[in-house]
Amino acid sequence: MSCEGLNPMPQARNFRRSPDEVMRLVRMGCSHPTRLSFLRQLLRRMQAEDWRFDRPVWEVDARGVGRAVYRAIGPVRTYSLVAFSHDLPPEVRSDRVIATAWDATFALFDGTPTPADLDRLAANVPLQEAGRISPRELSLSRANRSVRLFDHVVARLAKGAQPDAAMLRETGYLMRTTAVYGSGKFGAADRAAIAQRPELSAPFQAEMLSVWLTRAFTVDLVEHLARAKGGEKAARLSPELKSGLGVGNSTGLGMAPFLIHHPVLLNNWMLAREEALARVRAQASIGADELAGFQAALNAARENADLWTSAHDIQRAKLADLRDSLARIAAHVAQGWDQSAAHPWDDLWRWGCEALPLEGQEALLAAMLEPHGALIDGLGECMDADEGTAFPINGAMPVGELRAILRAHYDWALGIDYTERAQCARFWYVSEDKLEPRLGERHEEPGAERELPLDTGRQAAALWQALQDQPEDQPVAHLLMAAPENRLAVRRAQITARHPFAEIRDNLIAAEMLPIDILRCKLAFFGATRFDPRSDRWVRISLFQDAPYPDDLNGGGDEA
Amino acid sequence: MKHDPRTDAGLDLTLSEISALTTRATRGAGRSWGEAEEAAEAACWLARAGLDWAGALLEVLQPPEAGADCALRTGIALADAAALPGPLVNTPLRVNSPCFLLPFAARMADQTGQRIRLTAAETRVVLAPGACPLIASPGRMSGPAQVTLAPDQQDQPPSPDWPQTHRGTVIAAKYARLTQLMMAFTVPTSAHSHAGAGAQGDDND
Repeated sequence: MSCEGLNPMPQARNFRRSPDEVMRLVRMGCSHPTRLSFLRQLLRRMQAEDWRFDRPVWEVDARGVGRAVYRAIGPVRTYSLVAFSHDLPPEVRSDRVIATAWDATFALFDGTPTPADLDRLAANVPLQEAGRISPRELSLSRANRSVRLFDHVVARLAKGAQPDAAMLRETGYLMRTTAVYGSGKFGAADRAAIAQRPELSAPFQAEMLSVWLTRAFTVDLVEHLARAKGGEKAARLSPELKSGLGVGNSTGLGMAPFLIHHPVLLNNWMLAREEALARVRAQASIGADELAGFQAALNAARENADLWTSAHDIQRAKLADLRDSLARIAAHVAQGWDQSAAHPWDDLWRWGCEALPLEGQEALLAAMLEPHGALIDGLGECMDADEGTAFPINGAMPVGELRAILRAHYDWALGIDYTERAQCARFWYVSEDKLEPRLGERHEEPGAERELPLDTGRQAAALWQALQDQPEDQPVAHLLMAAPENRLAVRRAQITARHPFAEIRDNLIAAEMLPIDILRCKLAFFGATRFDPRSDRWVRISLFQDAPYPDDLNGGGDEA
Repeated sequence: MKHDPRTDAGLDLTLSEISALTTRATRGAGRSWGEAEEAAEAACWLARAGLDWAGALLEVLQPPEAGADCALRTGIALADAAALPGPLVNTPLRVNSPCFLLPFAARMADQTGQRIRLTAAETRVVLAPGACPLIASPGRMSGPAQVTLAPDQQDQPPSPDWPQTHRGTVIAAKYARLTQLMMAFTVPTSAHSHAGAGAQGDDND
């Protein structure tokens, strides 16, 4: 939905960045989680509404095999994570989508499951894609152990000792999810069926809740196994070490096309974040609390950057940029920042744009948003999208207007020669084996004739050509009768005219395009940390590190 | 997806699954991406209305017989032109699936803000803006048929509410055929792609 008319700070518009600056992959690939990220929205709501949590089922044996149920009880509805824990031989452990067995499998159930529900889920959830779930389920997921750390933690706790803190910090999670499916996948409830619920209206809330409860399960499981092994002398994980654990996630190309297939949703995510930045920049003064909060956020970012490692060359360079940038920001804040400027946050931002690389600029953005919850948290309610209303093409639009839209929003695409090898080097396709998106090399691999329409720039350029010599007043409906192959580009252009952050403004089939840039942007909106690419097309990340656990919220924990 | 092809029982699909299957099957049938997107939107609309979305889809993916037009292409053209000045088309059309015209007639109703009546032989369906279709006179909606679309000015009972369910059913044979079409648009994963996606690593870390 559009919240534009409700904007309480229209003056912030003057401080907004342009889509041409924001929607470039090189910048999107430097995105950091912010307080508008989806997991932060979930935690804030649960705290504000005083959700309660319990674990009514724990039927797990000494080998760690069995089932458990974790309930999140909100003011109106209850949601239950149903977990199945398995005994997985090491030789079949795989994070890839082709895997057929996992250390643990999960479904998020709508309500409290009955024994019959649990039996139905036990027959299907462990099979994942080969099973079938129902509209009573909101997500389906699985996780594998980080074996070395998991075994170490169990062994230490069983002896009554705490695990090695450095090992915990290095990995950061006991289990990593390898897929979290929602929104109608494999029989689960469609997004439309739950989107009207306030607690699930923000994007990916069911999936985030599932992962957050999974985090509690991973800790309960190591403590259970330690007790089974060590008996009375077994220790529980210390709160400090436990807090630093998140849930890992291993993910790849499968999630990249989502941002291209959902342009209105992408616009609303980006626009909310950009409006948040603009509101902060528009402030005429700095409050003491905001300054302290900003400095705390900077310190937290520096600690996080120190712990954040990657073996990937590109990411290592970015991490070096990030650490250097954070140090420079801290120095500037201490000495150079004119806090008496007419718009002091804007003054800081402008300095950052001049002095910092993209990685540092985007980190500065996240830190500037952090202390301004009262100013920006409401924007979280603008991050969902009614995509149905944007779907119909306006056939009455004159060609002249469509041409003007292309000039205004697709300038980045119109000057590229897509017949050059490097500009069309890649093609996206759906794999025969798992029906998952993949990326092929056009000049080396077969299948380009079946490519997915993610060549958005090339399509826009083709439409631009088709519009040449057409009368200015010709309606688009007539154009599409004569040239129906331009239908997708017309729709995207009309959407982008109304939603200027809808389009990634880069050639998505170019040789130098990095899919991990798309992944990082999306995962930052989820709230992911420790982005660690393993190639140019798959990554590991962590979710909910340093966040409270259900037991903490039962007792009224820290603010998320 | 777990589905026993030996039975003829209906398979219950989510709208998300219907959309993905329709997009890919339409593309696999050789249609353009633009048509595939429109077909998916239309199939979901039909499924929500409790109509035979898979049967209608399979009809439009067949080449139309002589003298009939493709309902998908006809529907797209009509919906695109709905906002243009001039009277609504009310000349008879002959299409390969009257049912598949319904979602596009509904969009015409949305765009013009007026009720549209679709007539095919003894069948009459009234489409009010944003509303679930009102089957004013039930009858056969499949196969090639002559169809008339016209503004509806008759007194009609209120349109029914949209069902709360967000699902659609498909019988095994139709599901199998759509899956077959879908597979025609997939590509075997290359060794290069496997490697880049992490196939060479060990996940026992």
